[in-house]
Amino acid sequence: MAAVAARAAPASPLRRSLRKFTGRAAMTMVAIAVMSGFLMPLAYMGLTALKDQQQITDSSAPVYPVTAQSFEYEGKVYPLLTVTIDGTTRDLAIVRKGREDSDFIDPANPQAGVIFWQGRWRTLAPVYVFDPKIANFGQVWDEIEFPRLLGNTVFIAVTSTIGAVGSAIAVAYGFSRFRFRFKGPLFLVLLATIMLSAQATLVPSYIIFSRIGWAGTWLPLIVPHFFANAYNVFLLRQYFMTIPRDLDEAAMIDGASPFRILRSVIVPQAIPAITAVALFHFFYSWNEFLLALVYVGGNPELWPLTLGVQQFAALYVTRVPLVQASAIMTIAVPVVIFFLAQRAFMRGVVITGVEK
Amino acid sequence: MKNGTRSAPRTLLVLLGVVALVLAACGGGTASTAPTAEPTEAAATPTPIAVTPEPIETAEGGLTADGKVLIRWFVGLGTGAQPDQIADEQAVVAEFNASQDEIVLSLEIYQNTTAYDILSTQIAAGNPPDIIGPVGFRGFYSYGDQLLDLEPYIASSGFDTSDLDPALLEAYAEGFGGQVGIPFAIYPSFIYYNKDLFDEAGLPYPPEKVGDQYDGQEWNWDTLTELAKKLTVDKAGNDATSAAFDGSNTDQWGYYMQWTDPRGWGTQRGAGHVVGADGNAVIPENWVEAWQWYYDGMFKDQFIPDGTENRSDLLGPDNAFQSGRVAMDFVHLWYTCCVWPADGEPNTPNFGIAVPPSDGGTTTAKLHADTFGIMEKTAHPEEAFEVLTYLLNNDTLIARYGALPAVKSKQGAFFDALDARFAPNEINWQVALDMLGYPDVPSHEADMPNFLKSDAAIKAFQEKLITTAGLDIAAEAEILRGTLQGLFDEVN
Amino acid sequence: MTSTPREAALPGSVVGQGRVGGGIARREALWGYAFISPWIIGFVLFMFLPMAAALIFSFTDFDLRKPDEINFIGLRNYERLLSDSAIAHSMAITVRFIAITVPLNLGFALGLAMLLNSQRVAGKNVLRTLFYMPIQIPLVAATLIWVGVLNGSTGWVNRILGIFGLQGPDWIADSSWVLVALALIGIWGVGNMMLIFIAGLQGVPTELYDAAKVDGAGAWRTFRSVTVPLITPIIFYNVLISFVTSFQVFIQPWVLKNGIPDDSTNLFNVNLYREAFVFNQMGYASALGWVLFGVILGVTMLLFWSARRWVYYAAER
Repeated sequence: MAAVAARAAPASPLRRSLRKFTGRAAMTMVAIAVMSGFLMPLAYMGLTALKDQQQITDSSAPVYPVTAQSFEYEGKVYPLLTVTIDGTTRDLAIVRKGREDSDFIDPANPQAGVIFWQGRWRTLAPVYVFDPKIANFGQVWDEIEFPRLLGNTVFIAVTSTIGAVGSAIAVAYGFSRFRFRFKGPLFLVLLATIMLSAQATLVPSYIIFSRIGWAGTWLPLIVPHFFANAYNVFLLRQYFMTIPRDLDEAAMIDGASPFRILRSVIVPQAIPAITAVALFHFFYSWNEFLLALVYVGGNPELWPLTLGVQQFAALYVTRVPLVQASAIMTIAVPVVIFFLAQRAFMRGVVITGVEK
Repeated sequence: MKNGTRSAPRTLLVLLGVVALVLAACGGGTASTAPTAEPTEAAATPTPIAVTPEPIETAEGGLTADGKVLIRWFVGLGTGAQPDQIADEQAVVAEFNASQDEIVLSLEIYQNTTAYDILSTQIAAGNPPDIIGPVGFRGFYSYGDQLLDLEPYIASSGFDTSDLDPALLEAYAEGFGGQVGIPFAIYPSFIYYNKDLFDEAGLPYPPEKVGDQYDGQEWNWDTLTELAKKLTVDKAGNDATSAAFDGSNTDQWGYYMQWTDPRGWGTQRGAGHVVGADGNAVIPENWVEAWQWYYDGMFKDQFIPDGTENRSDLLGPDNAFQSGRVAMDFVHLWYTCCVWPADGEPNTPNFGIAVPPSDGGTTTAKLHADTFGIMEKTAHPEEAFEVLTYLLNNDTLIARYGALPAVKSKQGAFFDALDARFAPNEINWQVALDMLGYPDVPSHEADMPNFLKSDAAIKAFQEKLITTAGLDIAAEAEILRGTLQGLFDEVN
Repeated sequence: MTSTPREAALPGSVVGQGRVGGGIARREALWGYAFISPWIIGFVLFMFLPMAAALIFSFTDFDLRKPDEINFIGLRNYERLLSDSAIAHSMAITVRFIAITVPLNLGFALGLAMLLNSQRVAGKNVLRTLFYMPIQIPLVAATLIWVGVLNGSTGWVNRILGIFGLQGPDWIADSSWVLVALALIGIWGVGNMMLIFIAGLQGVPTELYDAAKVDGAGAWRTFRSVTVPLITPIIFYNVLISFVTSFQVFIQPWVLKNGIPDDSTNLFNVNLYREAFVFNQMGYASALGWVLFGVILGVTMLLFWSARRWVYYAAER
């Protein structure tokens, strides 16, 4: 469309930029519309994390975090309801709930005593004030010993990502740029390793790792990733295969070694894909649950965040806000990392400047 | 290419081989797959280790580095993984370890949702713990033949079983091929009721003694049905006895039976068992009746929350009574764990306990029990038994598990602890003690052939009932019987 | 040496190409082995034994709780699964799930990637981050969010539908809607696929777009004849991987149904997990695992075969 606009030659620069602006605005609107549907569950999560349990089970409460207002009368706390008596609407504290009639106290004038009201209190609106429970996060922080779990997770995720990315680059390079016997069958074997359900190999793997003394340590969570896995290798191999050979052939003629070609030709061209692989693996490792449970689940000192959060979720199954708060805290670091890392995907714009 | 690069590929291969060796070596020399110089050769000799695993711990003999006996205690098959419980368990372990210098007790705590999978995996790898528990009968039936017969150790240690209920002691022997457990904790069941909701409706509280009337009427299931309907209210304030009641906008429910399965539902109309005298599957008549009543309670009269309602935010989710929107909840003593949140303002601050209604003059209150077991594979049965008796006699633990001590002399102190917790609420714990006299025999948790699959079939039946309106319960019960018969036949 | 660009890379295209000039070919092969050696070593150390063990288990009656009482029972597990009606049913619903979820995810992810790679969308950094967020939530927690959002009586989805006067279904409890619910959860997790597409789109040389512009190609034509052909290897990756992961979907249906799958959610891998870890029937579960392996392998071969016709590799020679 941009191309068409550009060719409709004699349009004034003003009109052109106006057109461009409306195009941009329309596309952005579409993106936002899709996004709001897509992110609705996230909004649910975020708002829930800021509520308290009372509000969760309160069907008349609004969607945003609130506290129901109450009034203390003679040592007991009573909720405030908006009630209309004799044409005047007031927020009164309900001191006796009854099916067809109830008693109220006016917080502004408690000395006046009990006000009798005929009607059903369930039809009255409670009085709420906006009140996000930021303290939920602090509570999670303390209860799951967040800093220690975060440290464990960072260590596991960073080391295994280094290993996974490094090995995947080398192996994908091998599969995409060299000819050797059994390459096809070997690649199929590589892919075959992800075709058998993890649930089927979990027990044999556990047997092996516990025999070499790795059960109860982080080693099974880290070391295997230094030997390349099929998802990463396959993705990088696909990407490397989209890079034309002209450049590496030129480099080869100049006498560059394959290492050098990998480093100075392939890797720079594949930065988006390598970044993607690094991010995927980092987040995978960050969120990995089953293996962590099996290998270090018995020792809270070694728990990554996922185990702490799961523990928390299972315990406080009845305290939804805290569970959601813990989930938000788990993804905080990954989200920031993603936001920073996605620069890698702006390459096309920077280098070629299609649209300046 | 230049000469310099000539040997690079081979150098790289060798280098990687060395890295692999080092990595394997630092994992402990016992690696049966330790690669020799040529890594690919390891693949040619897949030893059958994985097929017949030997216990790995015996390599170290179940000993710690300084020669003490290591005893692993596995928690999570029942209660025991709440944060306050964990703290006490850790304290008990530390206390035990400080009290003597021959045994090192180590604690492994898993959440209930994953504990069974983990334990199975550990057993499969020949790496089982020594002690499991606290665990109920379901766990005992799951791992029954993996547990150690304690009889010889009871005899040789002179452990006193005289203060224990003989029937309960027998329950841990029958069908297990040995005395695999010693009674520790029991959980009678009764009705928790929300006093505020009764007050609002202006209704008297349910009776606290078996045989007492409710509001001038016999306290039976019909009376409870009527009462529960009055206590079920929609958002407009109509109760379930009114024609204007809107069951899709329920604000408060009259009755619930929390955290149980259809076998538990069945006990509302008396004990029963899905295994007949001849070993075939049967569905007791009284259970079908109970199921029909419960099902109608969910979908016809709508005074019981159905599956979707129970899992909605309105009810917790899945902690119906605690949400403050259920008037009566028939559940066990262990629910004291969760009737109040660990902190924060409780939604149901004002509750009491009452006896369940009778069915034709017979009251049944299903009973749960928890204890510890020792895995048969333990390398150190004597030491494990020593730890077991230490745990059985530990008053801190039993109070924290919310469990009535099986040892009668300890029961008074237990209720004092509960009173302190729920003060200023005054709860008549005599109701709980009385209910011990009305257990379901045979137990709704009794063993079944092909236990795990039969148990899963019953849960699937439950799932269908709580989420599907318009079912013919008698027909569904017959389908369940057929399924169970098929599962029983698989193992007979 | 062939030079047709449309030659597929695999399998077998390389075998038989060898014998090109002795020493150089040998050196090239040696380099190739050297580069893939980390994976070969890792495969031997960490993959081969567990897979072989699972294969051996599949011929035994291995009960997880009884590792001392393993008996070889020949092909009986495989015979049993042929007559097990639950297996046929679980494969049928798995296929139905895949039929819904794979095209939906691919289309949605590619659309998103185009949108978020477009020059005409402002705030791409933020948008990408937001769209990627769901997949960063641990899977169990994410599924629990959906359990709340899709609840038939208090879930937001039905409340929003209610605003428009629509009565939403009971997504999770109603067996005819639960696969749709699973597909929704699946779409929520397209972040990785989206990112892979973005990476692929970034790899399209911009000169080609300029050339298309010069040729007067419209947006749709540019997309069809420049963008798509050039990212076919990436599309191929996403297709293949989404088949593999959809066949193996487990956690979402498991959590959604509270660990009690019914006929509508007993997908193949859910059933496998149940056999292995709820019923402790590891022997039978291993046989199921290898059957699923065979099915996925078959689909993979089929995809590779079809790839010869539609996947274009710039680096092919």
